[in-house]
Amino acid sequence: MSSVKQSAGWELRTQQVLLPKSGFEESECEDFIGINEQTGRFAVADGATEAFDARNWAQRLAENWVRNDSALTSETFHDWVAGEGAALHSAWSQLTLPWYAEEKARKGSFAAFVGVELDLHSDAPSWKAIALGDACLFHCRAGELLKSLPVSSSADFNSAPLLVASDPVINKTSADSLVIDSGRCQPNDILFLLSDAAAAWYLERFERNDFPDILRDNDEPNAAKFFENERVAGRIRNDDIAVIRLEIQQRSTS
Amino acid sequence: MYSAQITRANPTCVVLLIDQSASMSDPFSGDSARKKADFVAEVVNHTLHDLVIRCTKTEEVRNYYHVAVLGYGRQVWSAFAGPLASREIIPIADVADHPLQIKSSYKRVSDGASGWVEIPVRFPVWIHPTADGKTPMCEALTRVKQLLERWLAQHPRGFPPTVLHLTDGESSDGEPFDIGQQIMSLGTDDGNVLLFNCHISSRRAAKVEYPSDESLLPDGFARTLYKISSPLPQSFLAAAAQLGVHTVDGSRGFVFNGDPSSIVQFYEIGTSLTGMTPYRWMDEITEPE
Repeated sequence: MSSVKQSAGWELRTQQVLLPKSGFEESECEDFIGINEQTGRFAVADGATEAFDARNWAQRLAENWVRNDSALTSETFHDWVAGEGAALHSAWSQLTLPWYAEEKARKGSFAAFVGVELDLHSDAPSWKAIALGDACLFHCRAGELLKSLPVSSSADFNSAPLLVASDPVINKTSADSLVIDSGRCQPNDILFLLSDAAAAWYLERFERNDFPDILRDNDEPNAAKFFENERVAGRIRNDDIAVIRLEIQQRSTS
Repeated sequence: MYSAQITRANPTCVVLLIDQSASMSDPFSGDSARKKADFVAEVVNHTLHDLVIRCTKTEEVRNYYHVAVLGYGRQVWSAFAGPLASREIIPIADVADHPLQIKSSYKRVSDGASGWVEIPVRFPVWIHPTADGKTPMCEALTRVKQLLERWLAQHPRGFPPTVLHLTDGESSDGEPFDIGQQIMSLGTDDGNVLLFNCHISSRRAAKVEYPSDESLLPDGFARTLYKISSPLPQSFLAAAAQLGVHTVDGSRGFVFNGDPSSIVQFYEIGTSLTGMTPYRWMDEITEPE
């Protein structure tokens, strides 16, 4: 847990949980979290299990997006993805691959992605987010879900969404599905960034008017245990889990 | 039931059982240029290719599947040739590493604008077309049962085995009902073995796909195959819907008088196991062949 984001009147409490699928090693986890309090950027990427090198692709998307400070537009995002994709494919071209890896690499890699950029430097803090796939951002206030993107209903997690593709041709075709949105924050507002299994779990509870702020009530290790128990009970799908919780707090002047 | 995650610790098993009797050298109805045995071998090679690709994580093939390919005709045997032929149920990584040959070709795909580009693709071959002898279906199903009993003793947990049986005719060694029922009574903690049957025909006759009752079936042989076909679990119904194949709750994994497209769909639905269904983006920009 950290609480370090400094600005004129606001500070940020940042927490995270990252869990591989039950029965899998940490080194097999294809969800990645990117956190950069200097740029105010936070991201979750969920590598598609069946894609080639999905773990590296998700890691590259989450960790490199939070480092860059380019404008948050569709064009900029696609140009940035194209560059990251080219770098990934270039790394593959150095490898001598067996036939099956060559076939798989030909289709490129895929990941769901959600990133948020916070501006806490003014009197009215705000966020701007970008998402493609089924990794989600939730904006919550006083136990209410104000906004959920790009998926807004727990029933919508069973489809196969368009994902962020490392292949430049597929990357171009996904432009229309990219979601960019923004919002304003008040003191004690909470933003969540989540990969799909956790997002579906949270949305189901919001839909029952049951705000489950697990990370408010538990430290990170206990929150991880909580999610593991939910899996055992069959209430959350056995998938990798990535959750970032950002609580925007007004700085005490005393 | 039928919801266990397929992992390396708890892999699942896929048995492809292929009729290789002499009649498989006949052509399909209305397609005199194409022998059934040639087409089935092509689809089985494609299916094995897909299973390998699904399990490929970067440079490694993970053993989520254990696979057997059995043929029956002049005798019941492994349909694999080469180093795989002497083995029973084989981890998918070993299948990946031992194709008989790898053919190279080019495939046209979208260039993302208005045109197409040709890219190199590779087609591994594991089995060759074979058509010889009678149709010892009962002996073949007995062999499948024996294989599965041995495999299940070592893998009692996880997604249960799936048997995809393809035939073009009636059994020449007796009634397959009892042995079919015995196979369907085996299982893991996640459900009974799934036995799906695809009957193909050289005759011009109406096909029946994934029925939920016997009323449309023309004869006793069809009804027997229906009775030894498992109902499709929910994830398989979803896979059928994705392919545009009509099914209902209670549909059996059974096709009668199938044509070439039935065969392709049968293998696609039959290998669409929980948690392993390909995302639609995998092939969506590939030009239809």
